[in-house]
Amino acid sequence: MKIRSIRIFARLFATLMLLAVFEPHLKAASIELPSLKIQTLQLPNGLRAVMVNRGESSVITVEVWYHVGSRDETPGRTGFAHFLEHLMFDGTKTMGRQFSDYIVRAGGIDNAYTTTDVTVYWETMPTSNLPVALCLEADRMRNLDISQSALDNERAVVEEERRRRYDNSPYGTVIPTLYQYAFTVSPYRHLPIGSTDDVGRATTAEIRDFYNTYYVPNNATIVIAGRFSVDEAEKYIRKYFSPLAAGPGPGQRRIPVEPPQTAERAVKITRDVALPAFVEAYHVPADGTPDSYPLRLASRVLSGGDSGMIYHQLVYEEQLALEAESSADFSEDPNLFFVFAVMNARHTAAEGESALEAIIERLREKPLSAKELQKAKDQVLFELASDRETSKDLAEQLGYDTVVLNDPNLINTEGEHFLAVTAEQVQAAARKYFVQNNLTLLEVHPGQNGETTATLQQGDR
Amino acid sequence: MRKTRPWKIRVLGDVAALAVSLAGLPLLARDLPPNVPPPEAVSFQMPAVHEFPNGLRVVLVERHDVPILRLYAIVQVGAEADPPGLPGTATMVAGLLPEGSNRRSAYQIAQAVDQAGGSIDTGAGWNQSYANVSVLSNDKTRAFNLLANLLVRPSFAPDEVERIRRQTLSALDVADQDPGYVADMVMRRLLFAGTAYAHSEDGTRSSVERITRKDLVDFHARYYAPSRTILAVVGDITEPECLRLARRFLGEWKDGPDLALEPRTQPLAPRLRQVVVVNKPDAVQTEIRVASLGVPRSSPDYFALSIANQVLGGPAANRLFDELRTRHGLVYGASSDLDCYASLGAWVAKTSTRSAETIKATEMVLDQIERIRDAPVQQWELQSARNYLVGNEALQFESASQVANQALEMMLYHLPRDYWTLFPQRVRSLTADDVLATTRKYLHPDNDVIVLVGNLAAFKDGLKKLGAVRVVPIADVGRAFPEPEKGTADRPPSAK
Repeated sequence: MKIRSIRIFARLFATLMLLAVFEPHLKAASIELPSLKIQTLQLPNGLRAVMVNRGESSVITVEVWYHVGSRDETPGRTGFAHFLEHLMFDGTKTMGRQFSDYIVRAGGIDNAYTTTDVTVYWETMPTSNLPVALCLEADRMRNLDISQSALDNERAVVEEERRRRYDNSPYGTVIPTLYQYAFTVSPYRHLPIGSTDDVGRATTAEIRDFYNTYYVPNNATIVIAGRFSVDEAEKYIRKYFSPLAAGPGPGQRRIPVEPPQTAERAVKITRDVALPAFVEAYHVPADGTPDSYPLRLASRVLSGGDSGMIYHQLVYEEQLALEAESSADFSEDPNLFFVFAVMNARHTAAEGESALEAIIERLREKPLSAKELQKAKDQVLFELASDRETSKDLAEQLGYDTVVLNDPNLINTEGEHFLAVTAEQVQAAARKYFVQNNLTLLEVHPGQNGETTATLQQGDR
Repeated sequence: MRKTRPWKIRVLGDVAALAVSLAGLPLLARDLPPNVPPPEAVSFQMPAVHEFPNGLRVVLVERHDVPILRLYAIVQVGAEADPPGLPGTATMVAGLLPEGSNRRSAYQIAQAVDQAGGSIDTGAGWNQSYANVSVLSNDKTRAFNLLANLLVRPSFAPDEVERIRRQTLSALDVADQDPGYVADMVMRRLLFAGTAYAHSEDGTRSSVERITRKDLVDFHARYYAPSRTILAVVGDITEPECLRLARRFLGEWKDGPDLALEPRTQPLAPRLRQVVVVNKPDAVQTEIRVASLGVPRSSPDYFALSIANQVLGGPAANRLFDELRTRHGLVYGASSDLDCYASLGAWVAKTSTRSAETIKATEMVLDQIERIRDAPVQQWELQSARNYLVGNEALQFESASQVANQALEMMLYHLPRDYWTLFPQRVRSLTADDVLATTRKYLHPDNDVIVLVGNLAAFKDGLKKLGAVRVVPIADVGRAFPEPEKGTADRPPSAK
C-alpha cells in the first residue's frame, strides 16, 4: 500500500468524475509510438464516426459522444446535461426500459458520464455483438421516452448521487466550492451535477427541448475502438443511423467568456473533517492552445510521481501534508490547474501554502533542467502509450480528440507539440499563469459543517 | 372501443400511425429489439510458468504493440498473516517496500521510476502482497533492478518507518470519518469475527502506533521469499530477455531460514444476526451493508453463487439496482459483491440512501436477499446472467495486463489450469434449481450482519424492525470498533 490506498484521494478525485479529468497525450524523444490508422466517416445527416481497429482480443468499445455538457447550460437550467444522461437509461418509446439488459445479454458492460463539455455513452463488449450496441444507441438518440415519472424518479437518484459524491464525503464539497469562486460568469462555475433547485424545477417540456436540441446526429460522434472489421461497422452505422433526421442543432453557441481575474481570491470553509486542507487554483487556457503543452508538462514536474516537486517537498521532505496532488483540468474553454493538499495532524493549511509557494516560485524563477524536462515528457509518453492498452481507453482518447479538440488524428501528432516544448517555455508559462492575481485559494478548516467566508478584493468580480 | 370499429378503418388507422412513427421513430420496427446471439466463449491459454531453482515462478505475457513493460510480483502473504494485535502489519510492510532499500533511498527509487516514465505500486490484500513496476520498455533492466530492490532488500529505515506511521495515522483520521470506509470495516469486523480476516487491513490508530520496526523486518523475513513469489512480466519484452533479467536480479534470492507457513484460517460457524448502527449525526446519507458468509475463491459453489450474485446485485443490470434505484429512486448505486479469499468469503449487499429512507431501503435489500434465497431465479434472469458471465470473459482478457492478472489469480488461489477453459460450460450447465440450492446454503437471514452508518436520529423509530440493534458513535469506531456481541453463542454448523 501507499497511504493513499486508504483512498482518501480516490474518493476525493471521484468528485471530479463528472468533470472527467483528461490527462495529456503525447510522445517523447526516447521512444516511438506506432502510428494508428484512424478511419472517419460522416453521414449526410451530420453524424460523425471515428474508428480504430486495433488490439488482439475480440473486444470492442462503442461510444456515442454528444457535444453537450454543463458548459451549455444557462443559469436556472444547470444540471440538465447530466440529468438527461440519467434519463437516457430510462427507456425509449420503441423499446421500453431495456437498454442495459440487452448489453448484459450481449456479454457487455455499459455506462455514461457527463463533463463540462460532453456527454458520453459507452459499451464494452465482445466484438460479435457490435450491431446490438449500435442499434440500441441509434434508438435512444431519437426515441427517448421523457416521461414525468422518469423525471421524478431520476431527480431523486441525482440527489442521492449528489449526497454521495459531495455532501456526505469528507472534503466532498471542496471542489464545487472552488469552482464557484474561481469563475464568475463562465458556466464552469457550476459542476455538471448542477443545482438541486434547477433540476427540481425542470419540466418534461424543457428536458425534451434540451434533448431535441443536442441529441441529434449532427451533434453526435460515434467512436469504435478494439478488434473489429471497420467495413462491417460502417455498414451497421449506416443501417441504424442513416434514417435519423438531422435537427437544427445547437447553432452558434454563446458561452459567456470569463474575464481575466485581477486579484487573488481567498475562501475559507468549515467542514466536519479530521484534518485541514487547502486548494490553490490558477486559471489556465483552453486545451490544445499553445500554452496548454508547457503547462501540462509543468503539471507533471509538480506532481508526476513521488519524485514530483509537490509530493517530494510537502509529503516527503517536510511531512506537512498527508497527500498533495495536482490536477490540470484542460477542457474546451479555459479551466483550472489546481493543487489539493490535506495536511498532516498538527500542521496548518498556511504552512502548506507557503511550502507550495516556494515550489511555484522555483518554477517561475529557474528553467527546468534537461533531466527534469525529459522526465516530464517520458511520463506523458507513458500515459499516452498506456491509453492504447484497452479499447475503452483508446476510445476515450479518440472521442476527446475528435469532439472537444476537433482533430481525430491528434493521437498521432500531439506528441510533437510536447517534444517541441523547451524549459524556457515551461518557465514562461509558469510566469504567466502561476501568479498571485490569477489565484483562488480555498482553505478547509475542521469544525461544524457550514460556514463559508470569502475575501475578494475590490474590483475583482 | 377499437374492437368494434370496422376492419378497414382500423387498417387505415394503423397505416396512419405507422407513417407518424416512421417520421418520429426512424428506426424500422424490424430492427428492434436487436437480435442478441449468445456470446461465444473465448479460449484463454494459461501462459507457461517458468519455475526457477529458488522456487520463484515467472509467467510472461508478451505483447509488442505498446512500448511499455509491466512487472507484477505477488508474494503469497497478506493481511491474513498480520500478527495478533497488530493489524496493518502486512500493509505497512508493503507500503515501505519503495521507501528505501539498502542500495537506494526512497527518493532515488522514486526518481528512478519517474525518470523511466513509469510508476511503482505496492500494497497488501488479504492473501497477497504485491509490488508492481511499470516503465517505458526502453528501460527494461531498470525495471527488474528496481523490483528486486523493493522485494528483496527493503531497508525499513527508522526515519521512513516513522514517516509512514505518521502518514498512516493521518490517513486513518480521515478515513474514520468516511461513512463508506467505516461501514466496510465494521461489517468485516462482525462478519469475520474469530478469524484472521476480522481486523482492518489498514490497521487501527492503536495498532499502527504499536507496530515496531522489528515487527516489520520480521514479517518481511518470515514471509517474503522466492518460493512464495510469482512474477508476471507483461508487454514489450521477449522470453529470453525476460528470463535473463529475472534470473540476473531475482535468481540469487533465497528463502530465509525462518520462513513461516502460509496462514490457514479455520472456517466459521454461523452466528446470530447482528445489527450495528454507527452514529454520525452530520451525515445526510446512510451507508448500508448487509453481509452473509460466502465462499473461498476455490469453492465449487463459486459458479452458482456468481450467477446468483449477478441476478441480485452483480456488475450489470440486477434486482437491487432495479428495485432501489429504478423503481423507487432511493439510491444512486446498489450492488452486491462476492468477496472471495483463500480461506473464506463474504457476500455483501451495499448501497446508500438519504437518512430518512434508511429503514425502507434496508428492508428492500433484505427483501431481495430473501427473494433470491426462497424462489428460483427466473429463466430470463438465468439466461442473462449466464450470457453475461460467458461473454464478459473476453473482457477479462482484453489487455496483456488483464491476462497476466488472471494468471496470477489462478495461481494464488490454486485454481486448475483449465479453469477458464471449463468456465463457460460450467456456467451454462447450471440450472435455476442449482442456483437456488446454493443461495439456500449460504443466505440465512437469522445470521447476517447489518451495518448502518448515518444519522441515527433520522431513522431511529423504524430500527426495531431489524432486530436487536447496537449503536456506536463514529468517534469510537477507529479506536475500538464493535466486537461481536457476547452471548451470541456460536451455534454448531449443523444447526443451520
